[in-house]
Amino acid sequence: MDSSKSLLESHDRVATEPSSVVLDPKGLKDLLRSNDPLFVKLLKRKTQEARSFSEILALNALRKRAQQTGLWPTSATKLRLAIIGASSLRPFADLAEHYLVVLGGYDVQLWSGDYDNYVSEAMDDESGLYISRPDLVLLLPSERRCRYSGKITDPIDVQEAEANQAVADLLSLVERIHDRSGAAVVLGNFRLPSHFDPGPMRNSGLTSDYSFRKFVNTQLGLKMPVYAHVLDVEFLANRIGTLHAFDERTWFESKQPFSSDLLIDVAREFTQVASSLKRSAKKVVVLDLDNTLWGGVIGDDGLEGIEIGTTSPRGEAYRDFQQALLELSSRGVLLAVCSKNDHEKAIEPFLKHPEMVLKLSNIVNFKANWEPKSENIRQIALELNLGLDSFVFLDDNPAEIDIVRQFVPEVEAIWLGEDPSTYTSTLRNCRQFEIRTITSEDQERVNLYQREAKRQELLSTATDMDAYLQSLLMTATISQFKTIDSPRIAQLINKSNQFNLTTHRRSEAEVHALISDQSYISFTVRLSDRFGDHGLIAVIVNKVEGAELVVDTWLMSCRVLKRGVEEATLNEIVRVARERGCESVVGEYKLSPKNAMVRDLYSRLGFTLRTTTDTSATYSLDVGSYVLKSTKIEIMERAYAAG
Amino acid sequence: MQQAEVFAGIQDVFDEIFLEKVVVTPELSAKDVEEWDSLFHISLILAIEEKFGIRFRVGEVEGTKNLGELANIIVNRLNDK
Repeated sequence: MDSSKSLLESHDRVATEPSSVVLDPKGLKDLLRSNDPLFVKLLKRKTQEARSFSEILALNALRKRAQQTGLWPTSATKLRLAIIGASSLRPFADLAEHYLVVLGGYDVQLWSGDYDNYVSEAMDDESGLYISRPDLVLLLPSERRCRYSGKITDPIDVQEAEANQAVADLLSLVERIHDRSGAAVVLGNFRLPSHFDPGPMRNSGLTSDYSFRKFVNTQLGLKMPVYAHVLDVEFLANRIGTLHAFDERTWFESKQPFSSDLLIDVAREFTQVASSLKRSAKKVVVLDLDNTLWGGVIGDDGLEGIEIGTTSPRGEAYRDFQQALLELSSRGVLLAVCSKNDHEKAIEPFLKHPEMVLKLSNIVNFKANWEPKSENIRQIALELNLGLDSFVFLDDNPAEIDIVRQFVPEVEAIWLGEDPSTYTSTLRNCRQFEIRTITSEDQERVNLYQREAKRQELLSTATDMDAYLQSLLMTATISQFKTIDSPRIAQLINKSNQFNLTTHRRSEAEVHALISDQSYISFTVRLSDRFGDHGLIAVIVNKVEGAELVVDTWLMSCRVLKRGVEEATLNEIVRVARERGCESVVGEYKLSPKNAMVRDLYSRLGFTLRTTTDTSATYSLDVGSYVLKSTKIEIMERAYAAG
Repeated sequence: MQQAEVFAGIQDVFDEIFLEKVVVTPELSAKDVEEWDSLFHISLILAIEEKFGIRFRVGEVEGTKNLGELANIIVNRLNDK
C-alpha cells in the first residue's frame, strides 16, 4: 500500500517547484483572501498530492472562487467537454473539471448530461450534448445493464453473441457521437465485481458479471476506432482493489458510479487521457551509470567489482531495470547516458561485461565526463535536435536530480530512490512514456537517429551541397490524408514545434474529420533516402476559401531540414491550388516560443508579404506565375491520385 | 464520546471544507449555509465518516433534520463500538 502510494506521489510531483513551500490548506484560504499569486502554485501542489475526496472538493471550491476573483490565470487552451452516463455525474464531473483545469492546464467548458439519459442524449441530434459542441465527450455507460440476461446453461456461442452485441451497441453509440459532433470520444469500461458469487464457475463461460464484463472490456479495447479511447476503469479498480472500488450505499443514495476513491482515480486518469490527445510523450531517457544501471562505482570497483546480473540479488535488480529500459527503447524511446566518469571507464561495462543487458548500440548519445549534468543534458538535446521538454532524467543521486531541476527545469528529473528493486516500477509508473497508438515510425526512430549521425558525418565531408543532396538518392511519396495515417498525423500536429508555421493543434478525431471535409485539401509527405526510410515527415492542411488556398498547417520534421522537402511541398501546394481553381496561395506565420526557424520561410520561397503584426505575418503567392522549384527529390506519387 | 466532543470534531471538518467560517450548532442545517449545496453535502458526510471512523447506513443521513440529529447518530455509533 505504502509503496504504491509513494509511486503515485512520485509521478504526481511538480519537479520545478521548490520544496520549501509550506503545504497548509488554511494557508490557501489566506492566500486567496489576500489575492496572493502564490495561491495558484500552492493549489496545484495540493491538488497533485490530495487523495481525500473532501479535500479535493474543497480545493475545487477554492479554485472556482479564485477564477471568479481573477486570481486564477485563464488558460489559452480551451476544452469543450461533455460528460454523459448512466449514473449521477456530480461530483464526478466536478472532480474531472478540477483536474483538467489544474493539472491539465485547460480552460474547461463543461456540459454534463442527466442521470442515465446517455442513450437519448447521444441519439437525439438536437440534444444538449450536441448543442454544447464538445471537443471531447466522455461516456460512462451502464455497468448494471452490462450483464448476461440468459441462463447459466445456455450454449457458449449464445453467451458470446450476447456479449458481442453489448460491445457492438456501445461502439455504435461511440460512432454516433463522433459522427454527429466530430469530437474525440472517451469510453469508460467496466469494473469487475468483487463478490465471490457464483464461485469457481465465475470464468466458465460468460454468464457471470465478472467474465461477461471482462470479455466486453477486452473486445472494446480491441475494436475501438481511431477517434475514440478507452478510459480503463477496470484497470483502475483492480489497481486499488475491487473491494475498495465499490460503494453500494452511495449508489442507492445518490446514484454514484464508483466508490469515492475510484471516482478520484477515474477523474485523474481521464485528465491524463484528455491531455495525451494533444500532448506528446517524452522521447529521451538520460541515464546515470553508477548505482543506476549497475551497483557500485565503475571507477573505483572496476569491471569485476560492479553488481550487475544474476549472481546477486542487487545485480538482478539492476539487470531487471536495464531490461525495462531496453523495452522502452524498443518502443521508440531513445536512451542516452550522462555520467560523471572517465569516458573510457564508463563504456567498459557496455563493451565487456557479459551480464549487461544494454549495449552501446542501444545508447544514442553517451556523455561521460566531469561537466555538470545540466550542461551535458543541454548538449545532448542540441546534438539530437530535440527539445529539452522531451527529456526525462533518471539518477540515484538526489543532488544530481536537484541540479537538473534547478538548471534545466524543462527536463522531467526523477529520483530513483535508494533501493534498486524499486527502479523498474518507478520507471513503469512515471507515466512519461505513454503512447496511445504505436506508429511504425516510433519503432523505427532509434534506427533513424543512428542513421542521422551517419548522415551528419557525410554532410561534414561533402563540400558541395547539391552534390550531397544528389548523393542521398531521395524519393518522396505525397499522399492525401488517410485513416491509417491519422495517428501519425495527429502525433506530428501535436508535437512539432520548430518547423511549424502556425502551430495549430488538432486531436486525432479532428484530423480524421478533415479527411471527408471537402473544403480542405490536406496531404502528407514521406521521404526515403539511401540510408533509410524517414517515414511520414511533413503535414500540410489547406483550406479553399473562394479563389484563395489558405495554408492552415504546414509542419515538417526537422530531421529533413534543407533537403528540398520545403520546395517540393510548395510545388505540391501550388499544384493542388491550380487543380481547385485557386488564383493564389495564402500562407500565415504565427510566432510561437519555438518556431523562429521558419519565420522567413514564406519570403524565402518567393511569397509576397501582405500584412504583419508583432506575432504574425500573412503572405500570398500568385499561382499563375509560379515557376516549379527544382529539387533533388524524386516524387513517386502525388496527393489525390494525381499523376 | 459525548455530543460536545462530536461537535468539536464536526467543527474541525467544517473549518477544513468551508471557505467562510461556519459555527456548528445542533440546529444548523443545509438551508442555513449558502455554501452547503449537494456537492458539499457529499464531501461533508465523507469527511465526517473519516474523522470519526464510522460509516453511516443507507438512508441514515437523509433522515436527519439538523446537525444535532446527525451528532446523535455519531454518538450512538461510537458508543456501540
